[in-house]
Amino acid sequence: MEMNGVVSEYRKKCVESKHNSLCKEETEPNETVDETKVSHIEKAYSTILAELGEDINREGLLRTPLRAAKAMQFFTKGYKETPQDILNDAIFDENHEEMVIVKDIDLFSLCEHHLVPFFGKAHIAYLPNKKVVGLSKIARIVEIYSRRLQVQERLTKQIASAIVEALDPTGVAVVIKAVHMCMVMRGVQKNNASTVTSVMLGAFNDDPITRKEFLNLAL
Amino acid sequence: MEHSKQAQYTSSEHSKPAQYTSNDKTDSGDSSSVLNGHFDGMVKRPPAASLTAATECGSDRATVMESWKEERTRSVEDNEISLPSLAAAYTTILRGLGEDPQRQGLVKTPWRAATAMQFFTKGYQETIIDVLNDAIFDEDHDEMVIVKDIDVFSMCEHHLVPIIGRVHIGYLPNKRVLGLSKLARIVEIYSRRLQVQERLTKQIAVAITEALQPTGVGVVMEATHMCMVMRGVQKMNSKTITSTMLGVFREDPKTRDEFLTLIRS
Repeated sequence: MEMNGVVSEYRKKCVESKHNSLCKEETEPNETVDETKVSHIEKAYSTILAELGEDINREGLLRTPLRAAKAMQFFTKGYKETPQDILNDAIFDENHEEMVIVKDIDLFSLCEHHLVPFFGKAHIAYLPNKKVVGLSKIARIVEIYSRRLQVQERLTKQIASAIVEALDPTGVAVVIKAVHMCMVMRGVQKNNASTVTSVMLGAFNDDPITRKEFLNLAL
Repeated sequence: MEHSKQAQYTSSEHSKPAQYTSNDKTDSGDSSSVLNGHFDGMVKRPPAASLTAATECGSDRATVMESWKEERTRSVEDNEISLPSLAAAYTTILRGLGEDPQRQGLVKTPWRAATAMQFFTKGYQETIIDVLNDAIFDEDHDEMVIVKDIDVFSMCEHHLVPIIGRVHIGYLPNKRVLGLSKLARIVEIYSRRLQVQERLTKQIAVAITEALQPTGVGVVMEATHMCMVMRGVQKMNSKTITSTMLGVFREDPKTRDEFLTLIRS
């Protein structure tokens, strides 16, 4: 199903913007390349600590560059994963066409503009078209796309398109509500503001009653 | 209850383990600069906190690479000078993570991230004196003053990831009270640094002690550490609570009880 032309258009954009020549060069994970990268990031963090006015030789900071580099790699591990890797076995033929909702999925991502975390919850629903997916796989799809440098709008859309591609369902809905530390800890400094983004595809977009049912059950 | 003029804060009866002593050997500098009360050298105290020490400290203003315990290790001019190398470091990080620093969303990210990081560590360019100088008032008040639910944002010094929480501060004035927002500003100065929650709590308590010489100070902080939530052990709902009780808050259980009850309500 075309899903309102959104998916194919978005997939093109995703591939071009997210995967650049640097990514294409490495078709398989290479350990020595990884280690070199960690040491580059580590040196960058040492520079950052020094430039911020800290003493990089004090006890608490001695191994911080390495820890920060590894933490940052963990926060962006989604780049190395694809939905195909995790989904392939867990799609089952089931004679079920009613709504399936997985809600309150904790989500942690990094704002691509400030490299500062944003976190919240994702609520995902789909209307199966004879194919259902293992429930944890939905959460794993969220993980793949959230563990990247992201913009909340794009994250929501990527999750929705991944589910569409994998299952070809009658409809998909994704709602993410998150708090952005770049707004809370700095800048405008609004503690209680949260950002809600949603993507409604297929029946969720066309049929207001379906959408209402989802919003009632999930939120 | 009698409040003596010169309160002595000894750690002998305190039940907390002396977790600072092992660090003392490496980081401690001027532990002999005891101004009010004795902390047994357990506390990393900014020497410029009291008004009498201000003139002495003016001459040995710390260089950028000086130890973190000095009050001001960078200035606003330093910020501008450091920005290009910070941005270059962030560009290296972006490349190292496999991203394309030239794609539309990331073009100015190194600069934004560098400025953001400087903001998160702006405590290094501020001193207690700047913040407190005018706002200490003589007031005939010796009942507890509490400012609670002060939002606090810091950076974990081990992973460079945010710490988000609240701090509750109480003190028993000894004829001198502090402007209330100044308590929150003291929190800001010490929290906007690369921190460890234990040290942050203690620094806040010590700063208030040195500024006001109160009869007692209590600081309780509860925070969520993103380094535990977003990575590593990944426990979403865990919170870390640290407290520092000085003076009569430490010695008198009833005062401490009153403080803890009031911040809980």
